[in-house]
Amino acid sequence: MLDSFNQTPFLHGVITMGSFLLLTIGLVGALSKKNLFKIFLSFAIAEASLFIYFIGMHFEVGKVAPILSDEVTTFSSNMVDPVPQAMILTTIVIAIAILALALSFIINYFKLTNNLRIDEMNELGEER
Amino acid sequence: MSLLYFVVLPLLASFLTPFFKDYLKYISVAINLTLLVLALSFINTPPITENISFDSPLSISFVLDSASLFFITLFLIIMTLFSLYNLKEKSTKEMFILTNMLLASVSGLVLSGDIFNIYIFFEIASITAYILTSLGRDKQAYSGAIRYMIMGAIASIFLLIAIMSIYLNIGSLNLITIGQEFATIDSNVQFLILLSLFIGFGIKAEIFPLNFWVVDIYQASGTKINALFSAVLSKAYIFVFFHIAYILGIDGGFLGFLAIMGALSFAVAELSALSSKNLKRVFAYSTLGQIGVLFIALSSHSVVAVSGAIFLIAMHSIGKLMLFLSLDILEQKFKSTNVVIFKQFGSLFLMIIFTIGFLSLLGLPPFGGFIAKLTILKGLASSGAYLLIGVILLISLVEAVYFFRLLGSRTDKENRETIDIPLFQKALLALMAMVILYNGIFPDMLLEFCENVATTLIGGNHV
Repeated sequence: MLDSFNQTPFLHGVITMGSFLLLTIGLVGALSKKNLFKIFLSFAIAEASLFIYFIGMHFEVGKVAPILSDEVTTFSSNMVDPVPQAMILTTIVIAIAILALALSFIINYFKLTNNLRIDEMNELGEER
Repeated sequence: MSLLYFVVLPLLASFLTPFFKDYLKYISVAINLTLLVLALSFINTPPITENISFDSPLSISFVLDSASLFFITLFLIIMTLFSLYNLKEKSTKEMFILTNMLLASVSGLVLSGDIFNIYIFFEIASITAYILTSLGRDKQAYSGAIRYMIMGAIASIFLLIAIMSIYLNIGSLNLITIGQEFATIDSNVQFLILLSLFIGFGIKAEIFPLNFWVVDIYQASGTKINALFSAVLSKAYIFVFFHIAYILGIDGGFLGFLAIMGALSFAVAELSALSSKNLKRVFAYSTLGQIGVLFIALSSHSVVAVSGAIFLIAMHSIGKLMLFLSLDILEQKFKSTNVVIFKQFGSLFLMIIFTIGFLSLLGLPPFGGFIAKLTILKGLASSGAYLLIGVILLISLVEAVYFFRLLGSRTDKENRETIDIPLFQKALLALMAMVILYNGIFPDMLLEFCENVATTLIGGNHV
């Protein structure tokens, strides 16, 4: 009976729903939270959902990771598509770099203003 | 010569910063001039596709056709002028690294023939822009940088959604392959991809309704940085967006939507500029307005209007560089960018520069902006878009109101403070003004080139 869970279409369905839920959580969090840290964490969650979706949709039951090792020396049709994995690895690195940069900005901003709330950021705007 | 130099050389220079010590300014000029000569050497060559590491379609490909060559040359000219101007200013390591990274990323953006590479260069350009915004290191700068990052995060999420949908449905990241296959996929998915691309690139290209944050960023960052944002960064995003859009072969409905957004952008920006009391914000609103005009013209699918838009991009980039650098001189003198300072400076030279810049932005003869707007209007008239022509002319009147109000505020001749500008910087500003004037009187050479660029851009599949 458990076999029916181990089918590619079922897993794709689970991944689609899960990552859509995660994307919603991330975007709603980014729009509704006022704390700067929470906003950027929400964006990290939203991006993670895209990573899961993209890798997950290229996963198929019975195929192996596209890594060449001692025994596997050539790429074969038994492997999943390597392009999404390479893409997502690159994207993860970029996302982490951006998150780190954002955190450093927030820390510096907090040191100067003692404020972490986005609705109290009123430095910019028309002079009165 | 390899196309990789356009990306690699500036990046290499940024890595080698510690070895250059006190010569950063000169190295920067040397790199920009070298690459400019390299770019000019590609004129009159047929389109080049360069594959790196594997064969197409697996490879990373760089494409140089007349469109990307035009933009590379324009960016290099701007960066060369900017680095020459900086010879007389205090130079910092950060500026050197970041301007080089900016150059590498915008070159990569316009050269890439692969949508994932475009994403990577998009992110590099974004990171550079975030740090450039925060360079002031005060609370305004950090506040602006944080806002910029929030918008940038939304943009990159939507761009990723677009790229993933494209790969899931087409199975390739190469722009040419995508262009051939795009029509075959489901129309709902096409709509999702186009919408995600519009949100992703629209935020960065500063188009209504995704541009409400832009003016704050311009206010937060330094005035010289604004020159780069306005003249280089936004132009690169606009080019890449329309490049992808034309390669995908988008239909009239989406183009109409883009034109309406452009018209709204133009109207909202120019009306907001009327009530602004800060010169930086006024110039930023003016940039947004011009981007609106660019969107109207670029989405018209007529070669004449698009070549006018390309002409406008060149004139606006040089004009805005000139205006923001002149504003920087004023800011250094008065420590403020309030409109009041426009009454107080006593320098005939700067006054002439500002006047030329304003008149060119307004599109009055005999300056370059006139030819650009005239060509755009001709193109729109030939395709029968009379409503858009009316909008452009009507809103230009609003634009005229605030520029002439600024110029008119100079009638009071008391309390002027003289400003000393180094001769070299004067010469550079005069050179930019001459370029605008020259192209307004003898536009044929540039216009011919712009037509080539427009044909390539609209043609979509370039090779």
